[in-house]
Amino acid sequence: MKPLLAFMKKEYLEAARTGKLLILILLFVLFGIMNPAVAKLTPWMMEMLSDTIAESGLIVTNIQVDAMSSWTQFFKNIPMALIAFVLIFSDLFTKEYKSGTLLLVLTKGLSRYEVVFAKTLLLLSLWTFCYGICFAITYGYNAYFWDNGIVNNLFSSAAIWWLFGIWVICLIVLFSSLLQNNTGVSLCTGGTVLLAYLLSLIPKVKVYSPTILMDANSLLIGAESVDAYIKAVIIAAISGVICIAGSVPVMNKKQL
Amino acid sequence: MDVLAIRNLKKNFGSKKVLCGLDLSVPEHSIFGFIGKNGAGKTTTMKAILGLLKSDGGKIYIMGEKVHFGKTSTNRHIGYLPDVPEFYSYMTSLEYLTLCGEVCGMDKAGIMTRSKELLELVGLGQEGRRIKGFSRGMKQRLGIAQALLNRPKLLICDEPTSALDPAGRKEILDILLAAKEQTTVLFSTHILSDVERICTEAAFLHDGKIAMQGSITELRNKQSSDGFIIETEQKWAADTLIKTFGDLQRTEQNTLVFHGGEDRFFSIMQYVVENRIPIQIIERIEPTLESLFLEVIK
Repeated sequence: MKPLLAFMKKEYLEAARTGKLLILILLFVLFGIMNPAVAKLTPWMMEMLSDTIAESGLIVTNIQVDAMSSWTQFFKNIPMALIAFVLIFSDLFTKEYKSGTLLLVLTKGLSRYEVVFAKTLLLLSLWTFCYGICFAITYGYNAYFWDNGIVNNLFSSAAIWWLFGIWVICLIVLFSSLLQNNTGVSLCTGGTVLLAYLLSLIPKVKVYSPTILMDANSLLIGAESVDAYIKAVIIAAISGVICIAGSVPVMNKKQL
Repeated sequence: MDVLAIRNLKKNFGSKKVLCGLDLSVPEHSIFGFIGKNGAGKTTTMKAILGLLKSDGGKIYIMGEKVHFGKTSTNRHIGYLPDVPEFYSYMTSLEYLTLCGEVCGMDKAGIMTRSKELLELVGLGQEGRRIKGFSRGMKQRLGIAQALLNRPKLLICDEPTSALDPAGRKEILDILLAAKEQTTVLFSTHILSDVERICTEAAFLHDGKIAMQGSITELRNKQSSDGFIIETEQKWAADTLIKTFGDLQRTEQNTLVFHGGEDRFFSIMQYVVENRIPIQIIERIEPTLESLFLEVIK
């Protein structure tokens, strides 16, 4: 347990001292502010553009914005934040393989599964923390400007999207233990998400694909109930655990 | 007791056979020189000892305990210094040693005292900078400090002096010599003067096997005297000797080298005396590890 804690401490120190933590926090804070800001500014922007739009034959009428617009914006922006997260951490393992820094700590008696667990826990905690900040900021502004009460299943939708992020992180860990370079890790993670998305286009498979966890809007407007996501939630959770568990033997057999 | 025993170790990289049946024993409290030319398989052997590389056959024992690939339990007996040690550059040396100490399960107070003691030993006691700004020699010294942290039974150093300037090399050799009190040292190198300077035992790795192993004196004695150097006062004297004895070789204008048995040497001396040839120096060529090494890899 002690080696794991020591290595986790090193992971957080690394995230802080290499500036990754700062970039992430700034990014998620920015997204958190942008969601209500974009919603708030939409009527004003439309007004500014109304003349141009009118020329093309469309007439801008009075636009109503509320908490729903801001939350729709939140779920539109959060994929970008997740992509940034994946890119920032795609070299979390591979950098250590390349530089050979793992060699010394492993020869000191750190187990390889502890390397996998420490890095996974770092990713999970940072994703939860940053996602939480982004959500809290948007929630706060929305409560100040409008009323969060009009949105259906808000916390469930947020939790479901959070789980999607967790699933993607498990993919990062699996591909990081399999591959040697970070480009491969980002591409394979992206590729798997794309594959899951393509599978979700097949109506019968749709309910099982973790990518439907990204579709929070139907929950927000009340078009779908949480029950519709249960199968995908279970699949995401199980496959996530399999990814992490599978990374351990892969890591054990890796020649460093 | 042998700290390290390797039996019939084999390793191929594709079709290339790097190690083909290597046997090696390292006795306790020795400084063991592991000699071989570049690409002979020194690093491969060391990585196999550390369980970092999967071997294709053979067994390795550390303190009588078998080494398994991918597992690190035998590494608690080992301190390892790779040829180019890589550290987390955003840490200071004390922070790095603290991480290492916590990983090997030392207690907080123990880590602090031992780290400070070792940083003093390697001359980094006053260094507060992060590792990012360290020179190669400083990294090598920090590498030794981390390797000695948990008082290992065996210190493995992979070419610790190869990339350093003479001053840096001397520092590292002095530290290794000082470490002998606490541990057994196995270090690979192709710099033979380093081996002669500090090692008590040595082994030559060639063609994937140990070509020769023993204490430094034993190894030296394996080779009889290499011959003699004869330096004459004048050039004509050297000319005469060469004309008479065809097996003499000229290295400089007045200097001749002779390889061969003592009988031949005495007949040359007899000729010198009889013809009153003025001689400046007669010197026996001492057998060196270098000549032995060159003979082994021939």
